[in-house]
Amino acid sequence: MPLRNTDDRWAWPSMTLHWLIAALILALLAVGMVMVELPRSPRYFWVYDLHKSLGLAVLALMLLRLGWRLYAGAPRPVPGTSAAQHLLAQGVHLAIYVLALAMPISGWLYDSASGLRAMKFFGAFTVPKLVAPDPALKDLAHAVHEWGAWVLIALIVLHAGGALIHHLVQRDRTLSRMLPASFENPR
Amino acid sequence: MLLRSALLSAALMLAFGAHAADWQADPAASTLGFSGTAESEAFEGLFKTFVPAITFDPAQLSGARFEVEISLGSADTKNADRDETLRGEDFFSVASFPDARYVATAFRDLGGGRFAADGRLSLRGVEKPVTLEFTWSQEGETATLQGKATLNRLDFGVGGGDWADASTIAHEVGVTTRLSLRAK
Repeated sequence: MPLRNTDDRWAWPSMTLHWLIAALILALLAVGMVMVELPRSPRYFWVYDLHKSLGLAVLALMLLRLGWRLYAGAPRPVPGTSAAQHLLAQGVHLAIYVLALAMPISGWLYDSASGLRAMKFFGAFTVPKLVAPDPALKDLAHAVHEWGAWVLIALIVLHAGGALIHHLVQRDRTLSRMLPASFENPR
Repeated sequence: MLLRSALLSAALMLAFGAHAADWQADPAASTLGFSGTAESEAFEGLFKTFVPAITFDPAQLSGARFEVEISLGSADTKNADRDETLRGEDFFSVASFPDARYVATAFRDLGGGRFAADGRLSLRGVEKPVTLEFTWSQEGETATLQGKATLNRLDFGVGGGDWADASTIAHEVGVTTRLSLRAK
């Protein structure tokens, strides 16, 4: 099994990172939407801790993914993809990368500037604060985090919609090459 | 005759001497703060609004009296969410108990410019003894009081229910004050 991506398809390290981060981001959006509606009580602090820990995991995985992408490259667009379609896809990919980094960073900044409880990574260790308590920065980081969530949702809709158009309308390999090879060559 | 008038004037000075021991606090230069620990993270806050009435003469503690009215809704911990929680029912319950009051009439000289006030604090419908230890430095018409008291928040029902666990918020809360005073 090759590690690096070929011109033709994604190899398993990139695939694993893609689907793992995708699942984490969907979970983060769901937990994030629920937790802001919970009563403010220590009884529910674990939900916040879960959200923060998952977010930090995404940050770490995204940094790994960026490095891996630079090392392992990416497949070319499948034949039949128009230049405009490719450009749009690249733009959405880039924006998702930016948001997938900006969301955990703004969340971490919001937590730090709030100056409330210590942040623990899955209860294992205390994560350092990025800044001292700062109400103005807290509000800014919160606004970025909240608006970023809506922008990210829109981007995910565009990204998944594009993949489905490739798969169901254009009937090309764009989606299936991000899935294990056995999907394409059933035995 | 001379002795009698001397005694009379001494008595008059004693009787009216209380006026000389009344002090006016400068709100801009005076603070009343609190500090504690929440999940091993230290926090501190200030009461923006409090009115101290101070009668104090270090040479005559029997006539001393502190009375401080504290507006609980003015608590500021530099975090709007936390301040809102503090004002809420689980903590200060400001809607039902807008003010706390500290009254001390019993004072002890601890030596070296240090004193203790054995007063009573009314907070959130509970009245309990609280001792304030303080230093008093006086220079003519101005004086500075710097004091510290420690209390158990659960004695007053502050942060009960889900918040009662000491690992969530330590039970011990420090109260510190600095009063910049001018003789009335």
